[in-house]
Amino acid sequence: MTASGQPRIIIFTGASCPWCGRVKDYLKEKRFRFREVNVERDPDGARELQRRNIRGVPVVLINNFPIVGFDKEKIDKLLGIK
Amino acid sequence: MNEYDVIIIGGGPAGLAAGLYTARAGLKAILIERGVFGGQIVNARVVENYPGFPEGISGPELGEFMRRQATKFGLETIITEVTGVRSGNAYEISTNEGNMETKTIIIAAGSEYRKLAVPGEESLTGHGVSYCATCDGFFFRDREVAVVGGGDTAVTDALELSQHCRKVYIIHRRERLRATKALQEKVFSEPKIEFIWNTVVHEIVGDRLLRSLTMRNTETGELSNLEVDGLFVAVGLKPNSQIFSQIVTLDEEGFIPTDQLMRTSAPGVFAAGDIRSSSFRQVITATGDGAVAANSTFKYLHE
Repeated sequence: MTASGQPRIIIFTGASCPWCGRVKDYLKEKRFRFREVNVERDPDGARELQRRNIRGVPVVLINNFPIVGFDKEKIDKLLGIK
Repeated sequence: MNEYDVIIIGGGPAGLAAGLYTARAGLKAILIERGVFGGQIVNARVVENYPGFPEGISGPELGEFMRRQATKFGLETIITEVTGVRSGNAYEISTNEGNMETKTIIIAAGSEYRKLAVPGEESLTGHGVSYCATCDGFFFRDREVAVVGGGDTAVTDALELSQHCRKVYIIHRRERLRATKALQEKVFSEPKIEFIWNTVVHEIVGDRLLRSLTMRNTETGELSNLEVDGLFVAVGLKPNSQIFSQIVTLDEEGFIPTDQLMRTSAPGVFAAGDIRSSSFRQVITATGDGAVAANSTFKYLHE
């Protein structure tokens, strides 16, 4: 948990990825704050995903646990969204 | 409970066109979208076959234009998921944000990617298996990938991937492509693309990362192996119609049959766009369907 009481969320995105926009909008709507890493512009971000054997975006990293794709059910579960 | 003349389900070109026409006709209309406005076109880097844009237009931008135009005329929109549809004196629609009542419904919920339904697909999605070449092509620079499918999407994906990948295979279950002629000409002249005909993917192999594919020849039944780093699945679309099966008749593949006025089997329920049986699945036919459905809705309410 961060100081604000919400889990630490990082969203890994790409340049032309509609699902990335969708997952960002969803978390904004549910009033969660997150950091965005565009892996096409940020080589460290790309390496971070490679290290985790992930080859796709979006990836939502919640307290270091990765969810690949806009998997609403898993996101809801981890963030306690009802 | 909120009451409407018409509830439009789906915020792609069909739903947004229906929204534009119903709102301009003075109906109390709301459009429910579960994610992003624009529908399937948000996946298109450029739409080149929608008249009025001679240089082409990006899919997300076209979707946003359509949304702005419809809401300008008073269409209400809400982002939420439809969880149930019931018929009675009026129709009742339940969503994550509560229930609504309406005299008519326009179903424009579109379709989503069809999966292969083979072993390994689920566990390796995001780890080599992808359904979006524009999203994930980046991860496969200088690598070898396969695209499965034979339509416009598969061919467009292969052409896009061939710009960055070392090698692209197209695996197709028949011996000729379904894609349009212009795309076929492009794809057959691209030296990095190789075709594997009469073949389906039998299994996706890998432990935490895709390593190879087991393929099956559809004529001989023979199994073979192909080592690739990525697999892009482009085998067509599946209608988002399950939830409507309680109120309207679906065809064998789950699409909604309509007449030419977009009327379904249920009174006051219309369907438009990709979710319709034998839809051409183009932006221009979807918007056309939406306008016709809106007109039929107006007539139904004023009969």
